[in-house]
Formats: sequence, C-alpha cells, structure tokens
Amino acid sequence: MVNRLKRLKSNVPGLDDILCGGFVEGASYILRGRPGAGKTILANQVAFSQAREGNSVMYVTLLAESHERLFEALSTLDFYDAQHVGSNMTYVSLFQTLRSEGLDAVVTMLRKEMARRNPTMLVVDGLLTARDAADDSLDVKTFVAELQANAAFSRCTILLLTSAQPGDASPEHTMVDGVIELHEDYVGARTSRRLQVTKSRGSGALAGLHQYTITQTGMAVFPRLEALLAHPSMLDAAPPDRLASGVDGLDDLIGGGIPVASVTLAMGPSGTGKTTLGLSFLKLATPEQPAVMLGFSESPQRLLRKATAIGIDLESLVASGAVTLLWRPLTESLADKLAYELLDAVAAVNACRVVVDGYSALERTILDKTRIVEFFSALGNELKGRGVTLLATWETRNLFGLSAESPTPEISGIVDNLLLLQQHPAGADLRRVVGILKIRDGVYPSSMYEIAVGHGGLHVRGKFDVSNPSVDELRAPAPRVE
Amino acid sequence: MTKIVVVDDESLLVDVLAFALEDEGYEVALAYHGKMALELILAAPPALVITDFMMPLMTGLELAQDLKARPEYQDLPIILVSGAQGALARRHPELFAKVFDKPYSLPDLLEQVLKLAGPA
Repeated sequence: MVNRLKRLKSNVPGLDDILCGGFVEGASYILRGRPGAGKTILANQVAFSQAREGNSVMYVTLLAESHERLFEALSTLDFYDAQHVGSNMTYVSLFQTLRSEGLDAVVTMLRKEMARRNPTMLVVDGLLTARDAADDSLDVKTFVAELQANAAFSRCTILLLTSAQPGDASPEHTMVDGVIELHEDYVGARTSRRLQVTKSRGSGALAGLHQYTITQTGMAVFPRLEALLAHPSMLDAAPPDRLASGVDGLDDLIGGGIPVASVTLAMGPSGTGKTTLGLSFLKLATPEQPAVMLGFSESPQRLLRKATAIGIDLESLVASGAVTLLWRPLTESLADKLAYELLDAVAAVNACRVVVDGYSALERTILDKTRIVEFFSALGNELKGRGVTLLATWETRNLFGLSAESPTPEISGIVDNLLLLQQHPAGADLRRVVGILKIRDGVYPSSMYEIAVGHGGLHVRGKFDVSNPSVDELRAPAPRVE
Repeated sequence: MTKIVVVDDESLLVDVLAFALEDEGYEVALAYHGKMALELILAAPPALVITDFMMPLMTGLELAQDLKARPEYQDLPIILVSGAQGALARRHPELFAKVFDKPYSLPDLLEQVLKLAGPA
C-alpha cells in the first residue's frame, strides 16, 4: 500500500494546491528569494495560520534586524494577530549566540528551546547568515541535519529562510525535503512575481512558475491554470443540446442555437458589435439559468447604459441575480488570477452562460506568451466541463473589409465556434456583417450576413450582398434610447 | 557603582540600552536570555533588572517568576521592555515594577531607572 504523508496546510491561497495538499508534516523546506520577494510574509502567514489552529510555533531569527520592526511591518497585514505572539508563537533571536558562539551553540539553544515548547512548526530566518558564519559548507549541512533530527521527535515542520540568489550553489539544498523559490522578474516596466517548487521529496508538486501577489491579506499564489486544470475538474458531458444565442435570426442559421457547453469566439475590430453580441447573449439569462460576464473595457455603469440604449434591461437581470458582472480594468491584472475569479463566480451561481469581453484583453494579461494556447485550452475545457456555454470576443486590428485576421491561429483552433464580425463599406455606408466560420457538430451556411444593432441587441438582417449596396430594407430600426 | 542587568535576545537593542546606561554612570551586565540573566543575578545581585519578554530558554516572565519565588529577591525591581507582550506583563504587577512597550522613549526609561535603582 502506498503511504500517504500527513500534511500541514499553509492556508496561503493557492500554495497548498501547488504543494499537492500542503507542506509534508515533519519535513524541512528552504524558502529562497531575494530581499523583498516575500519570504518573511509567507513564513509568518503560515506561522499565524498554525497559531490560529492552536499549534505552537517557534520563529527564530539569525538576523540583526529587530523583532519589533518585524511586528510593525506584519501588523499592517490582516493575518497578524498580536494575541498569539508570546503565547503560542515565540519569536527569538539567536543572532548574538551565532555571532559569539557559532552554529553549534545555535543548535544547542534550539534543541533546548524546542524541548520546552514542542512546536509543530519552526521557522529559521537567516540561513545565509548561518552559511556566512560557517567555516565550510559541511557545517551548514550539519546544522540543517541536526535541526531536522531534533524536529523529527515532535513531527515539527521546518521552514528555513534564505536570501541566497536562485542559482547559487547551495549545498544545504541536498539536505532538505523541499525547496521553494520566489522569483522577481520584469516584463516591460512591470514586476512579475513567481513562485516555484524546485524540490519536493516524497510528494508531487505543480511544476513551473506560478504567479503570486502580496497584498493586505498576505501572499496569494495563482497556480498556472494549465497545470492545475491539466484535466478539467468535471468531465464535459458533451450534451447535444443547443442554447439560444439571443441574436435575432442567428439560431436558425446555425442549427437551432449555440451548442451547449462550447466555446464561441467572436472576432472583429472595434465597433463591429462584439459587446452588443455579448449583451444579446446575456439577456436570456434567468435566475435559474444565470450568466456571468467578465469585462475589461466598459465599467458596469457604462455597460448598463449601453444595454439600456439597445433595449436590454441588464440592470434588472443583475438585480435578480440572473447576471453577475465582473469588471476588471485592464491594468496590472494576472491571467491566472482572473481565470480563478471567473471560475469562482461561475461556481457561485452555477452559471450556464458566460461572456468574456474579451479573450484578447485576457491574453494581454498572460505575461509569458508561450502559455497562451495552453491557458485558453484549460480555461475553455474547465468551463465546458461545468456545462458552461462561453461566448468570448477577440478584438482584431483591421477596421474594414471582409478579411479574417486571426492574431493567434491556434486560438481559433481550440474554440468550438467561430464568428467573424466586420464593418464593410457599401457605397457611402458601412455595413455590419457576420460570417459563420465554424460551428461545432453543425451545418451552417458559408455566407456573410448583414447584422444590425436594434432593440434587444443584434439582429441578422439577411445575406450581405456587396454588389447591391442599396439594401435599405435590410436596415435595422434605429436603436431606441431611453 | 550601581549595577543593572539588561536582558534581551536582540543584541543590538541590548547594546544600545547598555551604552545609554553606561553613559549615565551605571555598571551594566548583559545577558541574551533568561537563563544567562538568572546566573548573572544569582552570582552578583544588581540594583535593577531590565528584561525583554520573548527570549530563548527562559522568558522575561519566567525569569521574574523565578526571582520573585526567592525570598532574598522579593525587593529586586524588574522593568519589562516588550514588543508585543506589554498587556500580558501588566497583568503581573507583583512581578514588574514597570512595563515599557517597544519602541520606548529612552529618557522615560532612564527616569524610571533612576527612580528604581537610585543614582549611578
């Protein structure tokens, strides 16, 4: 029988998923990152979570920095709770012991202190200081080994913090059970913080670099979506049903509606009606079959106004719980964080319809461009597994004409249905047209159709005839503005 | 010369305080944890003890309890200087003559030192 190791949950959002359940109880980990990367916050966040559960934590510093400054900084974070400090959490400095008596004395002191306190978790901050104090690498390895031996009695989990640079030869890494590295890189002008488990003995771990943030609530890690959801959490039942698109006249052309549990990508330049298409799709949501919309450009207020202008009562849909609006301005967003927020919102209401306006904005938040196809595959598969019918938009650059420009051809390959929205000059007029490029399991016409924005959203007006510009009868009624 | 024992595991803090007391003319003995302090005190009783709370091997609270359990140290004044356990320590007025929260004002502390230990 395979032995399952007991876990000590970090309760740092995302980290336990990456560690496949948490730290292994009684194991030792090195936490490595440059100053400012968040090692101390991470270690304290885990420590306070242990303390809250009533466990005993020992936090030992080998640094000159005072604990008072540490508490001052920590007290600005939500997880800090002074009532544990000095009761079941003890912060001691062994800087002086290390300086005057060396590593052996530190071990002796730690051994006595651990026997007194019987901690379930020991944090040692300043392993690099210990390395500097050691005569050779063997000393540090012995130091780590002795700590582990002492900790083993009480199944105490050890976190060793070091500001050694990733890539440095660190002989002590061979001694520990796990190594977690915190990386800080720059993508253009922005900082990208990523966590990586480079060693994990006796346990799996989600490989690769996972983005993390540090905010008032502490550290939150966002496991790479394609790694955590390599397989969707629920199996796509591939239902044969169709879902009304909300676009007047479209469903008849595509076999009765959009296939349920599918991903539809509506590509087109600015002004072709992509958001209006999304609103048309949303208007059919009900409290029983709700919808979620993730938008990046229009704020909820602007979106409500836009909907009102075309006769869609989005405000009531939101008020009744039929539609949940998530607005995430396209600033310094993280793709994985956005994806988890969307999935959480979908799970919260058990949504049937989802609009992402747009996928192109979401793509911009993927800092590592080699991930694009994998990221969208994972997101699409997960949504489909949950029975969601997704309508996503993609903003293209060519403003006019019937040319199809797919910025990333692979994206079109991983979606089920593909619509192309364009503005086409016809005489002095610009006509909105839609082309149906692909419908999963469907028969559909290979034609361009003229569409118009009218009351209730988009309407398909009939086949677009470029040779006959005088199709006044195809014009939509003027939008009603209330 | 009036002797004061200063106990803190954070050596920089203990150094700063020791220099200030020496400038005032006091004799200062330093300890980095409660056990070490207890040995120093028992070997040569001081006029005053200034101690931190959270320390390895023996906390400031444990040190005070140990000393006050000995009849000959009933009257030895102890000042507690603490980062986070000020409230806890104030629940033991029988142990501590005065409790200071870090960061504390040095003149205020020196004033208490003069009051409790007398002039240098």
